[in-house]
Amino acid sequence: MNTTIINLDLWDLVTVYSLLLMSIGLAHLLKAGQNKDLFWSGLRMFVQLLVVGYVLHLVFALKTALPVLLILTVMIGFAVQTIGSRVQVKMPHFYRIVGTAILFGCGGMTFFFCTLVIGLEPWYDPRYLIPLAGMVIGNSMTGASLAVERLAAEFKERREEIETALCLGSSVQLAAEPAVSSAFRAALIPSINAMAAMGLVFLPGMMTGQILSGTEPLIAVKYQIAIMCVITGSVSLTSFLILRLGYRSYFTSHQSLRED
Amino acid sequence: MSRAVPLLQAREVTVSRQGEAGRSQRVLQKTSLEIDAGEVLAVVGPSGGGKSTLLRLFNRLLEPDSGEILLAGINIQTIDPPLLRSRIPLVAQKPFLFSGTVRDNLLASARLRRSASTDLDDPELQELLELCQINSAWLDRDARKLSIGQQQRICLMRALVGPCQALLLDEPTSALDRPMADQLAQTFRELARQKNLAIVLVTHDLRLAELCVDRIALLLDGSVVEEGPATQVLHHPTTAAARQFLSSEPVEHSETKG
Repeated sequence: MNTTIINLDLWDLVTVYSLLLMSIGLAHLLKAGQNKDLFWSGLRMFVQLLVVGYVLHLVFALKTALPVLLILTVMIGFAVQTIGSRVQVKMPHFYRIVGTAILFGCGGMTFFFCTLVIGLEPWYDPRYLIPLAGMVIGNSMTGASLAVERLAAEFKERREEIETALCLGSSVQLAAEPAVSSAFRAALIPSINAMAAMGLVFLPGMMTGQILSGTEPLIAVKYQIAIMCVITGSVSLTSFLILRLGYRSYFTSHQSLRED
Repeated sequence: MSRAVPLLQAREVTVSRQGEAGRSQRVLQKTSLEIDAGEVLAVVGPSGGGKSTLLRLFNRLLEPDSGEILLAGINIQTIDPPLLRSRIPLVAQKPFLFSGTVRDNLLASARLRRSASTDLDDPELQELLELCQINSAWLDRDARKLSIGQQQRICLMRALVGPCQALLLDEPTSALDRPMADQLAQTFRELARQKNLAIVLVTHDLRLAELCVDRIALLLDGSVVEEGPATQVLHHPTTAAARQFLSSEPVEHSETKG
């Protein structure tokens, strides 16, 4: 298999940035008022990815575990912060709950895949661990946001139902069960849809990337299948943890609903 | 009048709530109340007077800032809330039924308490069906499609399935028209007598209170200002505050409000 990669040089990048200029022109033409947004987002992307590129270059060269773990920690931190900015209504102890859930949900699944399935040597091999963790965390963020948001909405909508159950002598766990299962369902829908549409509607990014960099398509496909399973596992475990830790925060210590 | 240990007792309970501009507002002020088994007590008073707050203290939906609530002489702080609530269920103003049939709803308590599943053929439940005037033809119907009056009867019976000792009713007739409210009030009285239940009925409907209760406690601004047999409180109040409230809400003309 020919593994020569066609490199992009500076001029190639300048050429593709002309497409952004075209977008700015079109936005201006339609008076959409997004000229500045497009410009700054384009610039941010350039700077951020360039920095990430250099950092990865450095970490790959260092070949020690510490910088890899540091990067993973920063990724989790950004993920929690992003979820926090996305959701309107945050449960009490939001950051603690979501942080724990992402750490164990995403971290556990990525670690499972890298050590037990791929069998990384050394276990922290950044060339695999960092991009895989990035994909797992990035995709789990959507599920986690949905779980948090839906749980809040369910508790608001089902207040009467939950209080009725409590008044009949239900435990908080049983009273919250319909809200929790509905929120879990919502969190998992994107993963289910993505798996079902895989290959038909779009060629997933990782597979495309591997093929572009010279990997045999069948190997790329197997990786894609594996990563989708890991992502779905991570979304479900992260959401499960958020919901299990989160529903209690809607109740007081004497097992009644918190006031709004 | 000295009595044996009452079934339910509120002792000098005080509840504050965070009001506007962060100012703490007293909802109940050292309120005391006693209810015996087999007795119906109405807590009446203007809205915002602390009636519902008092009711919610009895099953620990709320905790008092100070004071204590006793069930048969035992501080309810020492009772696990789910267990307490199965002994003292609360029926809310607006009936809420779980999705499913009437039968599903009537058996919901056992499911929610994870207790042994009961059967509606059980003679005790048959008696309850009769007491609550639930027609057996409703049992397999969609509970949410029944009339409001029928729904409230389902809620009432659903609460009573199990080891119930007292019943808390929060304006249970306010969504009903007058004949239906009167019928339900009769049911409360019969339930208290036949099942030896202590019933606390929160209402602002003085006419209804006179119809079905043994005693009335008048709650004004978080304090019980008058308490005694229904006719005495309503027609021969001893305090000025009670007289003033009753003159503004004449018993004969009070309407059931939503």
